[in-house]
Amino acid sequence: MTVTDSQKMAYVAAQAADARVNLQFETEDGMTLNMGPQHPATHGTLRIVAQLDGEQVVRCEPIPGYMHRGYEKLCEVRTYPQVTTLINRIDWLGSFANEVPFILAAEKLMDVEAPPRAQVIRTILFELSRLGNISLFLGDLGIQLGGITIGFYAFRDREFVLNQIEAATGGRFHPNFDRIGGLKDDLPKGWIAETHRAMDRMRRLCDEFEELVLGNEIFQARTRGIGVIPADIATSYGMSGANLRATGVDWDLRRDACPPGLSYDLADWKVWTHPDGDSYARTWVRLQEVRESTHIVDQLLDSIPAGPIMAKVPRIIKVPEGEAWVATENPLGEMGYYVVSKGDLVPFRVKIRSASFNNISVVPWVTRGVFVPDVITIMASLYFILGDIDR
Amino acid sequence: MPKVPGMVKGLGVTFRTMVETLKPSGGPATVQYPHEKEEPSPRARGVIALHEENCTACMLCSRECPDWCIYIEAHKTLAPPRRAGGKPRQVNQLDRFAIDYSLCMYCGICVEVCPFEALFWSPEYEFSEVSIADLLHEKERLGEWMETVPDFEPYEAGSEAKGKKVPR
Repeated sequence: MTVTDSQKMAYVAAQAADARVNLQFETEDGMTLNMGPQHPATHGTLRIVAQLDGEQVVRCEPIPGYMHRGYEKLCEVRTYPQVTTLINRIDWLGSFANEVPFILAAEKLMDVEAPPRAQVIRTILFELSRLGNISLFLGDLGIQLGGITIGFYAFRDREFVLNQIEAATGGRFHPNFDRIGGLKDDLPKGWIAETHRAMDRMRRLCDEFEELVLGNEIFQARTRGIGVIPADIATSYGMSGANLRATGVDWDLRRDACPPGLSYDLADWKVWTHPDGDSYARTWVRLQEVRESTHIVDQLLDSIPAGPIMAKVPRIIKVPEGEAWVATENPLGEMGYYVVSKGDLVPFRVKIRSASFNNISVVPWVTRGVFVPDVITIMASLYFILGDIDR
Repeated sequence: MPKVPGMVKGLGVTFRTMVETLKPSGGPATVQYPHEKEEPSPRARGVIALHEENCTACMLCSRECPDWCIYIEAHKTLAPPRRAGGKPRQVNQLDRFAIDYSLCMYCGICVEVCPFEALFWSPEYEFSEVSIADLLHEKERLGEWMETVPDFEPYEAGSEAKGKKVPR
């Protein structure tokens, strides 16, 4: 294969851009630490450049974009049913949750509503994807701090949740199950009883996590008072989800602004907040969220109404002209889709607001003056998915 | 009473888990993969099987595929009339039906849009190849997968969905 001149130029330009970033951080007495794009402590390919003074971080900048896949642009050349396949891959640990806001936005434009049975099952699968996502956080946090046991436990018990998602949708990671006006298929026999058992396993994992990690003195020393984010800073950076709730802000889209099409009001549950805003608080809030999620799923499983799974929707979906914005509380925080339709088979424009990008934009603020190992703790407890940042 | 250190408590959890894996009711959470296999659920999207007799080469799957990895070639031919004395019918004769699994995203849209029930999901997943070109499955290979397609599961109580049958 021959390399063209333009390819050479592009390579040189990329190298120069890399070098420029390094130079900006170069100081006379300090040093620059480059973590990533490939680094064991970054999940995915997030690059962190830190300017150090001894062991202390003077300035730290996350550099996203190494995994940009251009989903907003790709959505413009895919029909509405095809888009869900793509957006499954944004936050790959909670895939089903990515589909829901887009489908709800399209439903809003088309003015159709899923039947009650589909709404409840959709909510259950939404919560299952949250469980699959956050249970991995619980394991990953332990691994980042050097305790690998909880990592294995989390992977072991997450398997039960993934098996349930697979049994219902056919895909462990990329369900592609949500449709405009309902769901692709109904639940298979025996799924409800099996899911109840999986929820018991998740609750047991939470108890184990509490004893194994939260109570551990080393864990407390590494997380308590580290990476404190006050509520006003969190809101001004646009943080959302458990990261925001850990700063004491009582905010949850599932309760406050649940879009029509999800039935959270059928369950009795609680939003957990923590006043501290440090790494410990973020972990604690997520742990409680997993517990609360299992209770939501348990209640909803017992209240699935009988009925059809799909509303009457034309076979070839043309979405009428208009614009719609729908945001839901995804595992990582607020995720929303702004869909502009020109009455065509494909969306005219899709703007994706994913939670992780805003959640990690606070990193330069929060890592000023912390020690190098604490950067790992803070990044792990902020919990981002690279695909969710770069899209 | 002095407080039990958190680290000791954590070790208790590890010990309990260890004892549980030794019990016959518990056992290890992992399996020795190439020797033992876990059964995927019947709905699992492993590989797409083609029931060739049902395919009319309508091209719907090929058009709806998000990454355009289905190749269909067909020609028109005359079939004998259904009733004696009638005119011969014009039908599409399938020449080639191929799915490129190196491009496939396993989304299942082709299976869903097929109006004649010619495509089915099989939970079989062991078809990796040394060469990427071998992942292009032609219609003979896709037809072989048909044997591995499980029957559709019955639905959960309260469902109004109609049960489907796999043509054998």
